[in-house]
Amino acid sequence: MLFDEMKKNDQLIIGDKSFSSRLFTGTGKFNDQQTMVAALKASQSELVTMALKRVDMQHRDDDILAPLIKNGMKLLPNTSGARNAKEAVFAAELAREALQTNWVKLEIHPDPKYLLPDPIETLKAAEMLANKGFIVLPYVHADPVLCKHLEAAGCAAVMPLGAPIGSNKGIKTADFLEIIIEQANIPVIVDAGLGSPSHAALAMEMGADAVLVNTAIAVAGNPVAMSEAFAKAVQAGRQAYLAGLGGQSTQAIASSPLTAFLEVSL
Amino acid sequence: MKIHVNEQVLELAENTNIEQLLVHLDKPLIGSAVAVNQDIISRSHWADTILNEGDNISLFQAIAGG
Repeated sequence: MLFDEMKKNDQLIIGDKSFSSRLFTGTGKFNDQQTMVAALKASQSELVTMALKRVDMQHRDDDILAPLIKNGMKLLPNTSGARNAKEAVFAAELAREALQTNWVKLEIHPDPKYLLPDPIETLKAAEMLANKGFIVLPYVHADPVLCKHLEAAGCAAVMPLGAPIGSNKGIKTADFLEIIIEQANIPVIVDAGLGSPSHAALAMEMGADAVLVNTAIAVAGNPVAMSEAFAKAVQAGRQAYLAGLGGQSTQAIASSPLTAFLEVSL
Repeated sequence: MKIHVNEQVLELAENTNIEQLLVHLDKPLIGSAVAVNQDIISRSHWADTILNEGDNISLFQAIAGG
């Protein structure tokens, strides 16, 4: 098949939805709404995450929904703030009403210092939510065994972390992500910790189906330009994966023929 | 009648429904979720769910997040 054809047919399917862009983005931490919308558009992202909070009665929050819907982005509410499975299920059910979607990014991280996902509560909540008909995308540690359990529980994808949320440290879990990707029968979305376009490209070269980036774009000097850089990196990484990377070797393997003319005495 | 919305006491007319409550509070209908006494009320029932004296309303809203 011609490569152009291959690229055209290279759709990512999660649940009942097909995506052309493999860069998913978060809406948090932007300085202002205008920058957020411009950056998300530049990312070409088709799936963007949102959070839910109890309304502050004294203060009206900006309406960030309208511009996202207008730009055709699919919304993925998260359960951030939930400390256990019961709270996460409640949050998912609220989000379903608020955003009229049965998609949910399941995240349960009780400890605010490291925001590491609780595997036991996440698996419990994933089973409950999948049984209730949710399209569940759980945020988890890069744990291959847990990811298989989540797949068996009916999750639509898994979202293992590269490094702690917002740390911008990159892919610290590479060896385990490789195992997860190798074993998975559902899409693997590398989430959290990706701090630069090269991190995202690496994840895609490794065979991740998509990446989710928020902080690295939102806190960049120029979030719109950074967003575009991430989009290019994700495309390049995906293309490299599809093209098939060359193998590594400890010894040198000559790229030019070692002809004998250098041995001629001059 | 008196109800509680996110721990704040509110005086409302009798027979107020959830949709009217949101309008009264100037909260957006899209992006909001409502629980009455811990039971989540589906959006399709907002107009026919009448609030009662002493109800505890929890009001949630979609916001930016990662």
